[in-house]
Parts: sequence; structure tokens; C-alpha cells
Amino acid sequence: MSSALAKPPPAPATDSKPKVTVAAVPTFDNALSKGIAFGRVAVLLGLLAAQFNDLVAEPVLTLQSALPVVAVVQVAYAVLCLPAAGSQQAKAAKKARPGEKKKPEQAGTSSVTAFLALVLSTIATPVIHALFILFGAPFLDHITHTFLCAAHFSLLGIFPVIYARGVDSQALIAVAGLSAPLDETLGGLLGAVLGAWLGAVPIPLDWDREWQKWPVTIVCGMYAGSCLGSWLSGVVFFGKRLGGTASAAKDE
Amino acid sequence: MPPKSSKPADGLDYKAISKQFAKARAAREAREARDAEAKEKGLPTEKEQTEILERQRELLNTKRQKAYERRWWWTAAFWTWLLAVHAVGIWLFASGFLLTRLVLDDKSSCAAPPVEGLAASQAALDVDKGCWHPKQFDRAVVILIDALRYDFTVPEDPAAAHAFHNSFPFLYDTAVKAPQNAFLRPFIADPPTTTLQRLKGLTTGTLPTFIDAGSNFAGTAIDEDNLLMQLRESGKKIAHLGDDTWWSLFPEYFEPNISKAYDSFNVWDLHTVDNGVIDNIFPLLESSKDGQWDLLIGHCLGVDHAGHRYGPDHSAMTAKLQQMNEFVTKVAGSIDHDTLLIVMGDHGMDGKGDHGGESDDEVEAALWMYSKRPVFGRTSPEFAVPPATAKIRPVNQIDLVPTLALLLGIPIPYNNLGKPIEEAFAGQKGNDWANLEAVSRLASAGIERYRQSYFKARGIKQTVEPGSPAALWAAANVAGLAHKDAYNYLTEFENETLQVYKGLWARFDVPRMVAGVFVTAVGLVMLVMYSSKPADEEFVVANDAELDYAERRLELMNLNHEDQEVHPDQHFHRSLLGGLADARVLFVVGVLIAVGLYRKQPMDGLAALVVTLLITGVISALSTSGRSILNILPRTFWGWLSVVLTLSHSIGFASNSYTIWEDSILLFFIATFGVAALISSFRIESKVDRTMAIYHTVTFIIIGRLASYSKLCREEQMPYCTSTYYASVTSSTSAPWQLAIPFAVFLILPDVIKAFLMPSKSYEGLAPTWIGYAFRGGLFLSALYWTIDAANNGGWLADRLSESTLKSAGVYLAQVILALSLIAGSTSFAWAPPNISILSTSAKTGQLVTILGYGNAMGARYLFLPLNFLAACILVTKPMGSGALALMMWQILCLAEIIDLNQLKAESIGPVMLAILGNFYFFKTGHQAVLSSIQWDSAFIPLFSIRYPWSPLVVALNTFAGQILAAVSVPLIVLWKVGPKQRGILETTARALGVFIAYFAVEALTTMSWAGWLRRHLMLYRVFCPRFMLAALLLVVMDLVGVLVALTGVRSNTLAVCEVFGWAE
Repeated sequence: MSSALAKPPPAPATDSKPKVTVAAVPTFDNALSKGIAFGRVAVLLGLLAAQFNDLVAEPVLTLQSALPVVAVVQVAYAVLCLPAAGSQQAKAAKKARPGEKKKPEQAGTSSVTAFLALVLSTIATPVIHALFILFGAPFLDHITHTFLCAAHFSLLGIFPVIYARGVDSQALIAVAGLSAPLDETLGGLLGAVLGAWLGAVPIPLDWDREWQKWPVTIVCGMYAGSCLGSWLSGVVFFGKRLGGTASAAKDE
Repeated sequence: MPPKSSKPADGLDYKAISKQFAKARAAREAREARDAEAKEKGLPTEKEQTEILERQRELLNTKRQKAYERRWWWTAAFWTWLLAVHAVGIWLFASGFLLTRLVLDDKSSCAAPPVEGLAASQAALDVDKGCWHPKQFDRAVVILIDALRYDFTVPEDPAAAHAFHNSFPFLYDTAVKAPQNAFLRPFIADPPTTTLQRLKGLTTGTLPTFIDAGSNFAGTAIDEDNLLMQLRESGKKIAHLGDDTWWSLFPEYFEPNISKAYDSFNVWDLHTVDNGVIDNIFPLLESSKDGQWDLLIGHCLGVDHAGHRYGPDHSAMTAKLQQMNEFVTKVAGSIDHDTLLIVMGDHGMDGKGDHGGESDDEVEAALWMYSKRPVFGRTSPEFAVPPATAKIRPVNQIDLVPTLALLLGIPIPYNNLGKPIEEAFAGQKGNDWANLEAVSRLASAGIERYRQSYFKARGIKQTVEPGSPAALWAAANVAGLAHKDAYNYLTEFENETLQVYKGLWARFDVPRMVAGVFVTAVGLVMLVMYSSKPADEEFVVANDAELDYAERRLELMNLNHEDQEVHPDQHFHRSLLGGLADARVLFVVGVLIAVGLYRKQPMDGLAALVVTLLITGVISALSTSGRSILNILPRTFWGWLSVVLTLSHSIGFASNSYTIWEDSILLFFIATFGVAALISSFRIESKVDRTMAIYHTVTFIIIGRLASYSKLCREEQMPYCTSTYYASVTSSTSAPWQLAIPFAVFLILPDVIKAFLMPSKSYEGLAPTWIGYAFRGGLFLSALYWTIDAANNGGWLADRLSESTLKSAGVYLAQVILALSLIAGSTSFAWAPPNISILSTSAKTGQLVTILGYGNAMGARYLFLPLNFLAACILVTKPMGSGALALMMWQILCLAEIIDLNQLKAESIGPVMLAILGNFYFFKTGHQAVLSSIQWDSAFIPLFSIRYPWSPLVVALNTFAGQILAAVSVPLIVLWKVGPKQRGILETTARALGVFIAYFAVEALTTMSWAGWLRRHLMLYRVFCPRFMLAALLLVVMDLVGVLVALTGVRSNTLAVCEVFGWAE
């Protein structure tokens, strides 16, 4: 999206301005976190695979019963792998790992942050629902289907972002404009969007398959996309920026 | 955006004023001193210098205007050439693909047989005994087994047998055991082998083509002479069971109480239709039901569906054929002696079980006739056993028509081209040549009579060389021929005539189709190269009055240099067209044409070659002027998005599902662009701009979804779609509540447009009058028109005003609106000044001038043109559609803002989104890509009767309202928020228009390719062919609107604005 930035006074100005650069959100650099980040992907995709037949048969029930499970997985992932918004690590991720003393205190704040992020994600769900409708989802029927789908989207894509970014408007604008550097949270969101987008592709086909029904393909695309996206941007493209100018400030 | 320099002086600050005053006085003294000095030296004074400058400026302006006009004409010439390329490509393909046949309205009648003297000699013949020939049967039962291929019915060596072999032996066995009671022959279908087209052939006796010109587009009902019509005319009763296709072809033909139709398109259901036929047919065959029907049609679909679902080589097919075997056996046992039983397939199926095309397996069906009374004969003993394969002694499907007509004693339908089937008339011993000659002569005379009418109607001359139908006809009519010889001549005549018509009507001309696709593809490459942006070219909108002023000063100073600037693109289009005049190209073209004419080669190949060569010339000219073939690769996200949207939309046309659901897909694309634009908007640094961009983007997306509620579903979308466009599914008039929509548009839309003009202070000059009064007035009159129309349709004022009064009030009102919006509107558009007003504040230092609307001088004025067309389109669109079009205008303005705020004016996404919006609103104004959705009644909005060329123009305006509005708005995207001094407007607009047209050209190319490639597809005539026709027609219409309206509009807009502000380039 480089052209969006192509203004008459060109790019070099960005560095000179006193503009707060939004940093990427790193995962905790320890084996446990790495393992959990990987395990989350495995659990989510495994859950999807295991529940696929139920999802096709009973979308509402399955999505509903899976929701708390996914919420627990996501909260655990956030608390154990991601620096909470406003925490020391989020602010100065470059610094050495904090001392032992701080840990319990942090665990406390991060669970509070996780709870708040969960609340905010819940609030975001109707917005996502509206977005689905704007893309052509049914408005008056299949409301529960769409809403649950939106709730899953919120948990997958929105929750980690809010957990890591809080309500810092600068950071959220950067995330919304995809001008923040890639990290697991942004990648998960972007992946969920693209996955859900691609998930709509098979719906109109006249194959008369059960799994073509709303919102099965969207949910599958969303999960696959989110998992792939968060892995790719967490591991492969971490810190890169979409649309040209990659940020030099990376923490190694 | 007022110039920044024009801050009014602060009058209260005395010190400042005195200071300024002193400064001004000093300046004046200095000037006077200079003047005096200059006078002394004999040089021009400053005043004189100003005059000189003024004159020079004048000169420069004239020069530039002339240069602009020349540039514009070359641009228009290039676009005309583009139109020609598109037209040739489409013509080549369509002439190979859409074969047309003129439907004659003539009907045969019992009293007027085609053979002269027959009426006199056999005057006793009437319907009871047989009209033109003594009848053999009172009644007939026709069992149509859909897709009954010939090899399903003949025995096969069990070792080599497939699942579809040997399961349906009854037909063959009876024909062998009792040849006088039954015969079985291959039954060759004429492509297209789809059930609907086949039923037309089987009942009219003619070769169906896609467009039967002259027939009624709006309905599928057959209105040319046919078997069922003749039966009904003769007072006979027809009953029907099974496939409901019959009911749309023959509405109100069937006895209501005993007939029963079943849905034909659920290919997954193998049994419902068949069980319905089987359960309902036997009660009708009982002798107690005598007199309730004379022709009983049973149409079974199970075999066809088993083929579609599983393919022929499957146990389901075996079971289905066994069921049919049992069923036919039982029917044969149930009929009486005066009833004829016919079992036949309407087409075959290919190896996968599909059909629609012209391969052997698809056209080879089976025909079996059976009678309890021995009537059939064989003219030769080796004909006793039914043919082992369909290649031996086949009969044409149209031969059923004269055969059945003569057997039942009704007239042969007028358009029939078939000949009587030998077995049915040869007598039991197979030697009744007199009878064979008589029936054959009747059929042949009918064919000759049809030929005369058709050739006359089409202005075709008959050839008379030996072996031609004319010569054979003459030979058969020589007096004193033996019956057998006469019969042979007649048969030969019938065969030859059929070949002539097949050549005329029923073959895809594949080389022509390929040539068409090729020319369109090469033309598309040229267009895309033309529309691509050279890497170094920029279209930066500066809109800085001070800068403009300074630049102008500089220009005037340099004016004296005679080697003065030539516009960088002055010769661009001329050099492109110069590619046409390349000596080598011209030489080859000349040789080709000469050789082609000398050797009398067909025009199509020659045209394809010549056009391709000419395009190549232009392509090479494009390459040398910096737009090489590699330049078409997108370089930005937006470029890629344009490509992805265009290609995915077009590739989707290869699938019938994506074609059927095109409207939903377009909404999806609109939302996709919206989200991308939203993301991009978050990147805008200025908080105000960011907020505005986000606001417009969100509005853009929401409007799209809102508009999607206006829809007219096509048949294939059922049951997942609810039509809202009309009052109900079965009507084509609006519901009363929908009348509120045009009134809401009248109230709201002008204010919405005003709100878009206010921020750039462009609601000045003529704008308040134009938008606030004229446009609003037009909208009100449209709303009034539709109210009158509704009152007329609903008979609300039936007791007070006559229908004709209402109708003429409506028509004159409509004419006034069209005259106002298109004629008066266009004239005023050409003369209107820019939407600016000049505020002058006088200060002591002199005049301070503020120009309101400077920053949008180009765009705000151009907006009038789309508004004119919008007003016209809203009139010819039904109430629901007027709301949709109003939303479209809103969305276009949002798009213009989004494109401006995100600085995407030189990107391809703007025009591509306009094209998508245009197509989207095509669906939102009550249309679908099917012929039946054309709103023919719109021709009568401004007219009482059909008048050329106005009626087709109105229908076109109704049908393509969305796309036309989009095409007219292409320059708006480029010009919006652009000041009067902008350079490169014509070039950027032409390029944007190129992208816009390229979108439609891609659609035309792909639909063309898919329709050609899938010409055997079951859905060809329902889905692919109409979509191709839509795309092809759209491409031509868009080209025309592009040149005649958009480019012309840009020209008069630029002329008007630059007349006021001077020419920037």
C-alpha cells in the first residue's frame, strides 16, 4: 500500500518528525512462551478439525460451545506469551528481562488486562457482525450464526491486539492502517480478515455440499488464516512493515 | 480553497495601516520614478509593459487552447479506433456464435394444404378423417425419456457391456418380433442439445437457434406454428405429465385437471418426476378416460438426471433404465388399438452424462413407435432389424413433426423442415409407394412454401445449379414419374433443403469465434498498454494559487523565446494513430485485401488479419512512446487490487454459479475495496483528512449494502433470493409504498450533493440554481411521473380521469424531463461558467481577491454532467431503481473523496471501482444477465408507440443506467478537487477512461472465451450466452458513452474553466 503514503512531501520526513513509532509486539523470549504460541495454533486448528463435522451439522451449537474453549486458549496465550498493554515489557521490550520480583505483579496485571481486553473484544463483536453484513451476510436471518462467527473473529483477531496495545489510540490507528510493524497480534488479525475473505469464495458454488452453508467456510478460513498469519508474522516477517519502509528499530 | 495570500487587512490596527500606506506610497513613487526614467530613455513605461504582457498572455492562451483542441481531437480519434477494434472483435465472435433465424408468423391450416389440387380432389378430408392426408390414429401417447441415448436401447455383447447397456430391451425386442407393430431407429437431435431447444425442434419441426429473431424476448412461449398449436386448433385435447419446461413453452395448452408439471432443475433428484409420470399416466390410459385427451405427453427426467449426477456408466443408470423398461412395457399393454405410442429421447449424453453440445453421443437419441394394430412397414428386408448403431439409417428429430401430424390427421406446421418417416407410411408390406409419395409430396410442398416465405422475408436469392434444392424440386415435379422415383427425388430434395438451412442457422462457426476472441484479446493488450501509467509520470494535484501565479509570471517572461514549449503529450495520440499508417503495415494490409478480394475469400478471416495487423502497428507505437508491454504490470497495492478484482470477477464467469450470483459478488468487491480504503485512510497523517476519509469510506460501504436491498432475482437464484424490485414476484409494477422512494430522492439527494460541494466552497456560481432548483425540479417531476404511472396501473383515478389522459400526461411529462436533463442540460453544461465566486475585499493597499471554489474548479463544474444523466436515468428507471441510482451517485461522490484524500487519482483503482459500481447498479435497477429481465416497457415512458431510434435508446438508458452513469463519472474521479491550473488533465482522464473500458473489455473477452469454450455446457443458453451478450453490448455502449459524453464533457469543461482562469498548459 505504498501509494497511500506517497505524498508530495515524500517519505524521508517521517523520521525527522517527532512521531511516535509503534513498535512490534514481541512474544516472551522463553521456551515456555514459544511452546505455548506454537501449541495454541495446534490446539485451535485441532479443535477446528475435530469439530468440523459438528460445525457443518449444527453450526450454532458448535460455535457456541467452542467459544469458551477458544476464549480460554486465547487468554492463556495472551497472558503467557504476550506483553500486556502498558506493562514494562510492552513499553521497553528491548530491555533485559525483568527481575524475579516483578513477575507475580505482572501476572496479576496481565490477567486484569486480559479481562479488560476480553470485555473490549466483546464490545467489538457487534462491529464485526456489522462488517460481515456489509460484505453481504444475511441481515435479518441467521443472526446467531453471524454473531457467533463475529465473536470467534473477535477472539482470534481483535483480542490479542487489544491485549497488547490497550487503548493507545496511536497504536490502534497504526494497527488499523496496517502501518504498525508485523507481529503475532497484527498477523493474526490480518490473517483472520484475509482467511474469512477467502472463505466466502466457495459459498455460491452449486456443489450442494453441506459444508458450503453459512458460516462454515468463513469460520474455517478465519481460523486457518489467523493461525497462518500469526505464525508468519511472528516468526518469518516479524517487524517488517507492509508497504515499503521497514522499520529499522527491531529488538533482537 | 481560497488562496492563502488573501487575508483581509486588519483595519483596526492603525499602525499597521499607516505602515502599509507608507509602503504603498513609496512603491508608487518608485514606480513613477522608474516610469519617468524609462520615458527619458525611450523605453516602454510599466503601464505599457503591462499591456504588452496582457497581449502576450492573450496570445499564449489562444495558442494553448488551439493546441488543446488539436490534442483532444487526436484523443477522440484514437478512441474511435478503439471502438472499431472492439466492434470487429465482437462481430467476429458473435457471427460465429449467435446464429439467428427469422420466425415467420404464418400458420398452416386444414383448408389450405401446400399441394395445389389436393383440396379439390380430396375435399372430403376434414379433421375427423385427417386434414391433408387420411389419418391412422385417433390418439397418441408420447413418452419422452430425457437423454435416452440410442445405444441404451440396442443389445450389446454382455462381455463388453456397460452399466447402461441391455437394461432397456423392450423397444428392440418388439421391433424385431413384431415389425408391423413397432420400429426403432436412431433419432438425431440438432444441436444445441438442451431440453428447451429440443422441445422447440420436436414440436415446430425447425432448427432452433439461440436468437429466434422476431419471437418475443420477454417470454419463452413458442409463438410459431407447432404440433401442439395445430392440435389445439383442431379441437384436440393435450395432457402433460412431467418436466415443467413444457409449461413455459406452451402456457395454457394443457388440460388443467389431468396434467401435472414437476420442477426440472433439481438434477440431484432422480425419482420425483418419473414417479409422478408413472403414477399419473395409467389412470389416464383407462378406457373410462376416453375423450379427456388426444395427445398425452409424459416427460421422464430420471435418466437425464442419473447421467448428470453419476454419468451413464453407473448402477443408478441401470436401475433407471430397468424402471423405464418396465414402465414402457406396461404402457404398451395399456393402450388401445387406435392409439399410437411413441417413446423417444430428446438428446443423448456424453461420456460424463452431460449434454448441450453437438458430439455424436449427445445428438444420438432413440425413437420407437408402437401400435397394437399392425401398420408399420419396411421398404427393404434388411431394414427389419433395428440398426446396430446410431450411424445407420438415422432419422432427424424434426421428422417426427410431419410424421405425427399426418398420422393424427392434422396439418403439418408451417415452419416444418422434417420429412415423413418411411416406416410409418410404407404400408404393412413396405411397398405402398403411392402413399409414400403422397406424404412426402405434402411435406416437401410445405418445405418449399416455407422456403419461399423465408427467402422473401430475408431477401435471399435461391441458387439453381444441379443438385441444389431448386433443381431437385423441379425434377420431382416432372409429370409421369413412377411413385418410387418421385419419392426418391422428394426425399433428396428434403435432405438438401435441410442442409441449406443448417448452413444458415445451426452451426457454431468455430474459426470465426476463435478469430473474434483473438482480435478482442490483442485489442485488450493494446488498451491496457495505453491505460498503463509510465513509471515517471505523475499527476500531483497542487492547487496552490500563489504557485500558479508565480509560474504564470515566469511563463510570460519566457514567452519571447520562439522555441516555445510544446505540450509533452501534444503528439501522443497522433503518433499512436500514426502506427496505423506505418508503411510496412499498410503494405501488408493492402496486399492482403487485394489478394482477399481477388480470390474472393470470406470477409471474416481477412477482417481479423487486417485488424490484428493494425493493432500491432499501434502496439509498437505505444511501446516506442514509453508504455511498453512490461509497463502494464501493477506496481502498487492499488494496482494489484484492481487486477485482482477485475480478473476474479471475469474468471468467475467460467462458472455458472458465480455468474448467477454476480450481484452478491459485486457487493463483496465493493466492501472489499471499502475495507482496503479504510485501512489506507488510517494512514493519512492529517487528522482532519483522516477523519474525512474514514467517514467517506464507511458511508461508501454502508450505501453499497443498503442499495443491495433492491434486487430482482433470476430464476436460478431461487430459493435463496427474494425479489424486492416489484410489488410481487409475479408482477412488473411497483408497490404503492415504493412511490415514496422517488420523492425521498427528490428531497434528499440535492442536499447530499450540496454537502459534497460545500467543503470546497464550490456551491457557488450556477450550482445553487442547477442543483437546488433545476435538478431537484427534475427529480420531482420524475416522482410525479411514476405517481401518474402507478395511478394509471392501479386505476386509482379510474372514475375521474380516463386512462388515455393519464397516459398522455405521463408521456409529455417524461418528454419534458428528458428534454430538460439531456438537451437543456447538455447545452447549459457547454456554456456554464465555473462554480466559483469572487469575493473582493477592498483594503487601502488595493483589492484583495478571494476565489471561492478555486480548489475544486474543475470537478465541481464537471459534476453537472453526471447529474444531468442521473436525472434522465432516474426518470426511465422504476421507483425502486431511482433510489438505487441516487445511492449510486452518493457512492460515486464518496469514491471521489476517497480517491482524492488517499491521493489515488493516477491509480487504476478509481475507474475499476466505478466499473464495479456500474455493474452493481445494473443489478440494483431490476436487471439480471438474462434476456427476460430487459424492461421493454420503459420504451413507453416517453413515447406512445415504438419509434426508431428513440425506443431502443430509452431501453438502453434503462438497462445500462448504472454503467452509463459510471462512465460519465470517470472524469469526475480525476477532476474532483482539482483546481483550474492543473496540468495533464486530458491525458489522465483518457487513461482513467482506458482503465474503465479495459474492465469491460476484460469481461467481454472472458465471457466470450467461456461461452465459446463451454458451448456444450448445459447452461450455455441460460447463463453463459446471455452474459456474453451483456458484456459485448456493454463494451460497445461504454466506448460510445466514453467518447461522446465523458471525453466531450472533459473538453467543454476544460474550455469553460480555462477561459476564465487562462490556460495552464
